[in-house]
Amino acid sequence: MLKLGVALAVGASIALAAQAVFAQDRELKIGVVAAESGSFVSAGNTIVAAAKLAAKQINDAGGVKIGGATYKINLYIRDNRTDVNVTIAAARELVDDVGVKAIWGTETHDFSISMAKITGASKVLQFSGNSSLGAVLDDKAVAPGGWLHYTFQTEPQEWQRSGSTAKGVLALLTPLLPQAPKHSVVFVGNDATGQYLSSHYVKALEANGQQVDLVKYPPDTTDFSPLLTRIKGLKPDIVHFWYNGDSTLTAFPQALKLDVAPAYFLFGVDPGIYAERRLKSDKPVTLSCVPVCWGASPYPAVQDYFKQYFDLGAAKGPQSSVSLLYYDYFFMYAKALEQVGSLDNPDAVVDAILKMKYQGVVSPVPLSFNDHHQVTFATEVCLVQPDTSDQFKTAVQQPPPAPPPGDPGG
Amino acid sequence: MQIFIQQLVNSLSVASVTILIGIGITLIFGLAGIVNFAHGEFLMVGGMVTWFLVVSGLNFFVALVGAMILVGALGFAAERGLFRFTLDRPMNGFIMSIGLSVILQHVVIRLFNEVQKTIPDPISGVWMVGGVDIIAMRAVVVGITVIVVAITYLAISRSRYGMALKASIADPDTAALMGIPVRRYVTGVFVYGSVLAGLGGALMIALFPITPFTGSVVIIRGFAVSLIGGLGNVGGAVLGGLILGLVDGLSAQYGYPEWTDAYSLVVMIVILIVRPQGLLGGTLGPRAT
Repeated sequence: MLKLGVALAVGASIALAAQAVFAQDRELKIGVVAAESGSFVSAGNTIVAAAKLAAKQINDAGGVKIGGATYKINLYIRDNRTDVNVTIAAARELVDDVGVKAIWGTETHDFSISMAKITGASKVLQFSGNSSLGAVLDDKAVAPGGWLHYTFQTEPQEWQRSGSTAKGVLALLTPLLPQAPKHSVVFVGNDATGQYLSSHYVKALEANGQQVDLVKYPPDTTDFSPLLTRIKGLKPDIVHFWYNGDSTLTAFPQALKLDVAPAYFLFGVDPGIYAERRLKSDKPVTLSCVPVCWGASPYPAVQDYFKQYFDLGAAKGPQSSVSLLYYDYFFMYAKALEQVGSLDNPDAVVDAILKMKYQGVVSPVPLSFNDHHQVTFATEVCLVQPDTSDQFKTAVQQPPPAPPPGDPGG
Repeated sequence: MQIFIQQLVNSLSVASVTILIGIGITLIFGLAGIVNFAHGEFLMVGGMVTWFLVVSGLNFFVALVGAMILVGALGFAAERGLFRFTLDRPMNGFIMSIGLSVILQHVVIRLFNEVQKTIPDPISGVWMVGGVDIIAMRAVVVGITVIVVAITYLAISRSRYGMALKASIADPDTAALMGIPVRRYVTGVFVYGSVLAGLGGALMIALFPITPFTGSVVIIRGFAVSLIGGLGNVGGAVLGGLILGLVDGLSAQYGYPEWTDAYSLVVMIVILIVRPQGLLGGTLGPRAT
């Protein structure tokens, strides 16, 4: 009898231990590498906030059902301090030590490429909202065995984004100017991201009939008055502030005081922050968001998303909409895992994602990736009604069908 | 010609904030013998305090005084709690100050979040003089800088305390034997430099948005100004600030705009090679004993 009792006790212990292990195995480990400090923090924190919201919603809805088991997403968030070395170290730790199945991030273009060297070799999926990945996502890189086979670019190709943005900005501003604008100045931070993005945007403006001057500023510039005075001397019809939202919000008020141009375009500045800052201009101002506009999007799904996003404690920053370059893909990934029925078959997950059409928040048209693992969707461009801070007219601009002359695509 | 004059006006404005930072650094670095790399964060804290007080409903100029007092208190705590233990080992103080700067950034993020902060223009308006735009608040910043420079210069070069301070730097042991409270003077200089950082931060947020990382950007220019002019030399800091402002303004107009910072630093390097003691001469800075 005693032996039977001991056997039952041992059996029960083993069962409990097995259950504990089984319960522990039901954790879906996802890494997030983003700038929670350093100069890119305003973009980086949006990734973290989007990831937290998506993970909470998926977990609250019952988790991810994979092969008959239910998995709850557990986020492993790492601050890359806007430093490429920290980014690489964080990716290495997440992949090798934590054992994540996928990584979201980073917001800094060149850092993402460095990180892909680590995720790709370990068959860990990577979702990065960086259009500059287009320069390396070619047939060979994304093929099975290629170093970017597991990497997905969650932002449209830059010629697409630049094309839709340029067309939208000119369409909104032209009727408000005494004569059709012919001369644009693109004012951009002189870093890797700024150089890559502006090269496409200049071509897009030229394709839309603009003569373009490109003026680059040192990335940490605070007092823009000398550079803006130079731009004023060029007598532009439109000044396009491109791409860093924080720098734009520093430079733009200075431009208004110096009366630099008859019209402005602010890239990467959400209407929501324009209203929060109570910015006001008697000149026409357009804004475009990355990719849809917090504060002026016409779509109820987007409005609802931002309500939940801020309710969860996210800061209201200049680039809150950047979060939407990351949010939907949690659901796509979860759906792909459920279709594949296994956590340990990343190649099948990649295939499932490539075949998927997913109706997300970022676009009214279902999201899908092309053969180069890139997504396509429209850009929202807003016009601020003159002398107001919170009255916007929004236009949804589709990307052009092909890169403009002189743009190699990518 | 109009553009050239506009750039000269811009240069003066750029120089003002730089001079305020530079004076604080040159006093602390050159006279107190402390290499405080967190001085930029002191300035950032001054800006954040000003922002907090203004959004809480206080008048900007009241908030400015509040920022000066609070950052002065922060300086007092830092000198008494940290740097006084490193006076004999300046390199320790230098490394400590880098740590302090990171800590202050994270404390500010924790308190106020990471998002850029801005306040409404305390004095709005743009004056057009002969086709040149003069932004009213920038003119006020230039005016305040002139007053601060004058007071600091007179206090150091003409007052009894200034003389005692110089004696403390030249020969601390003899100065102490003569009854000069050398340690208290060091504390006083550190606190005064910190107060100027608070003032600089308050004036900066009146002109531009600031972030928790603003300090790490401005600190390099602050040290450049103090070295160009000569450590501990208030007039030198003014001269250094004016030179950098002028280089910024003119290079933005006539050079490669993306190289603006590089031009300034090239000028600094050339000056330090030709005049290692700075343009107007100064102390040798911190020395290990």
